[in-house]
Formats: sequence, structure tokens, C-alpha cells
Amino acid sequence: MTSRVFIINCSRFLFLILFQVLILNNINLGGYINPFFYIYFILLLPFSTSRWILLTSAFLLGLGIDVFANTPGLNAAACVGMAFARPFVINIISTSSESLIGINPTIKNQGIKWFFYYATILILIHHLILFYLEIFRFDEFFQTLFRTLISSAFTLLFVLVSEYLFFQKPKQQHK
Amino acid sequence: MRNLFQFFRRYYFYFLFLLLEGISLSIFFNYNELQGSILYSASYSFSGSVNDLFRYISEYFSLSKTNKVLVEEMAKLHSRLPEAYYKTDTNSAYFLDTLSRIEYKYISAKVISNSTNKRNNFLMINKGRLHGIKNHMGVIIGNKIVGQVVSVSPHFSWIMSVLNKDSRISAKFKKNNQLVTVEWTGGNYRIGLVKEIPRHVVINKSDTIISSGNSEIFPEGILIGTINDFTIVEDENFNYATILFTTDFNSLGYVEVVVDLMRKEKEELKTSFKVH
Repeated sequence: MTSRVFIINCSRFLFLILFQVLILNNINLGGYINPFFYIYFILLLPFSTSRWILLTSAFLLGLGIDVFANTPGLNAAACVGMAFARPFVINIISTSSESLIGINPTIKNQGIKWFFYYATILILIHHLILFYLEIFRFDEFFQTLFRTLISSAFTLLFVLVSEYLFFQKPKQQHK
Repeated sequence: MRNLFQFFRRYYFYFLFLLLEGISLSIFFNYNELQGSILYSASYSFSGSVNDLFRYISEYFSLSKTNKVLVEEMAKLHSRLPEAYYKTDTNSAYFLDTLSRIEYKYISAKVISNSTNKRNNFLMINKGRLHGIKNHMGVIIGNKIVGQVVSVSPHFSWIMSVLNKDSRISAKFKKNNQLVTVEWTGGNYRIGLVKEIPRHVVINKSDTIISSGNSEIFPEGILIGTINDFTIVEDENFNYATILFTTDFNSLGYVEVVVDLMRKEKEELKTSFKVH
């Protein structure tokens, strides 16, 4: 069981890096929008992931993107920040009765409302760090904020669509 | 001692976070010093070859082979244009050699990664140190501006696009040679900002802005764009205008790297003055 989860997560790790650098980084929507779908990996890590694995894998994920995008440290910093926030976000938005069914945080297990809050908050944290660190000055504050929000919305869209694409079928088997 | 261990075990999540975030940020802020390191060039050539492979596959979807032949031909022709030759207006040069010496050479290269949607955009091309490319060389396409080389490995070069917050191009009005500076403020990749236009200069829409040739990066007369819109500010010494870039940064296939063959001489001349 655990080794299966491990292999699934490893292959997701590699797939998302390649998908991000080879396809998404080459997509250009309106000059502003660049979805960072690769952070779906951090969103989907099992609840039981120990915290040092969470941080370290997020660090490696960001570094992997950085190597290709030639932005050393930028994505790594954003990913580590996001991974750090994940346990706290889960704590805040979960009520004790309904919380943490299943292995992964998904719409199927947690419901759309829970997952929507979870994904939105973490994606925003990641994108805010990423965009403000990239520009690293405040004289383009609102423009950067606009870019952050637009890109976050698109990342969220990608995440929600793939939730419905990949995590819906098992539900029918359970019934 | 045991308490200390317990303390670390209890808060290791925070310490690990600080450690990893610290590493990331120090990599981010020490980027320039890292460029010479072995790790850097190893990761560089790895990502370069993956990008190269992907471009190689995607190339089949376009007619880039024809393109390549055309651009190389163009680079050759470019080197023979009058602009490529060292100009002298004086009649004191008696030797035919001096008059017809080539000042600029062009190396054509394929773009293997490019972006226009970030605040700081870069390109990677498939030629590097082995092909004679060095830092701070200009990059153009046809007669239009693209950016400048900021880092070189044996087979690849990393180019800072004009669409970058650190990009500052010395330019001038084609009609009256007034010097200005062109920058990019983010957002739309077709629109840039022209700064430091002296007040007395009359600006019209669709005035052409070209490179000034004052820096050793670009030859004179490389097209940057046309004035798109401008505002006259009453109390300032300088006016601003927005510029519509002639280059379509989103569709770069092949570019040319400008090699200034007399750059060393120019730089030596400058430094020799400083010494005395």
C-alpha cells in the first residue's frame, strides 16, 4: 500500500515537472497568464505524509522547475512556503467531524467546498511568493497583484478540471 | 541535553522550513555568483538538452527547416550590408583595408526556449561559447531587436529579452537622433516604455525608435519600435511615451547574435582613458 502510494507520487512528481516546463511554460495567454499547475503535486500529497517529506519534496519540486525555467531558487522558495502552510490550512478549514477521510485531499473525499478553500488558499500563497519574489520591488504592486490573481485563477481551474478528470471514477465503484 | 533534543523534535518542522527557505532564497539572490559553478553548468546543459530535444520534436509541426536556410542566408547577406562595415567620414584614411574592414558579424542560432508572460523573460539559443558567443553580445532578428546575451555555456546561450526589468536599451529617434532609453514595464509584451525624452523634442505617433549604437551591444539603426502613445507632463524635464515593439517576441524561431569585431578596441580605448 505505502509503496504503491510512493510510486504514484513519484511518477506524478516527474510528470508534473515535465508537463509544466515543456507545455505550460510555453503557453501564453494574453501576456499575463502563466498557470503553475505543477503545485498540484503538493496539493495531492497524502494526509499522512510526514512533515519533513512534505517540505523536502516541495523543495525538490520547485528546484526541478527552476532548473528548466532558469529561475534558480524562485519556484523552490514558493513551493517550500506553500508546503509549510499546508498543515495549518488543513487544520483551519477542517471541522473535526468531517475531516480527513481517505488518503489524499480530493474533491471526492472532502467535498467541493473543502477542496475549493484548500486549493485556493494554498495556490494564492504559492503565487504571491512567486510573483513578488520575481519582481522584488513594490512599485509595480497592483500590476503584480493582478498577475497573481489571474494566474491563480487559471491554476485553480486546471486543478479543479483534473480533479474531475482523474478522481471521479472510483466513487462509483465504492457504491 | 534531552530537553534540547525534545525541543528540536518538537519544532523541527519550523527549523526545516527555515533551512529550506533559506537555501532557496540564497540560491535566488546569489544567482549571478553561481553562474560559474559546476552544478550550474551541469544543470544548465541538462535542461538545455531536454529543451533542445522537445524543440526538435515540435519542429516537425512547422516549416522551420526552410526558415533556417533562409535566416542563415540572411545573416550572410547582413554581414555584407554597408552598415556592417566600419565607417569613416574622414579622408585621411589612405588604405583601402581600413575603409572596408568588417565591424559586425552575425551568427544565426535557433531559439530553444522563450517566454513573454513573465516579468523577467529570457531566451535560450542553441549556440554558445564554442560558436564564438560571449557575454553582452546583442541579439537581433532581421533588423529588429531581441535582447542581449547574459550567460554562455559551451553549447547554449542565455539571453535576456528586452522584456525584462533589467533591460535598458540606449535608443534614439530616427528622425532627429535624440537619445532616449527604452524599457519594459511588464504586462503586454507588445508595448514598452520610452524614457528620458527631452522636453523640446516634438513627439508624433508612429515615430520610429532605433538603437543608438552608443553601447557596444547593438549596431546603430536596429529597429526597436514605433511610438504608440505619449503624454506631455508640464513640470518635468523629460517626457514619456509608450512604444509598440516591431519585434514579435512571441514568435521567435531563429535569431542572430551580433558580434562586434572591434569591441575590444573600443573598450580598451575607454579604459585607457580612465587610467590617466
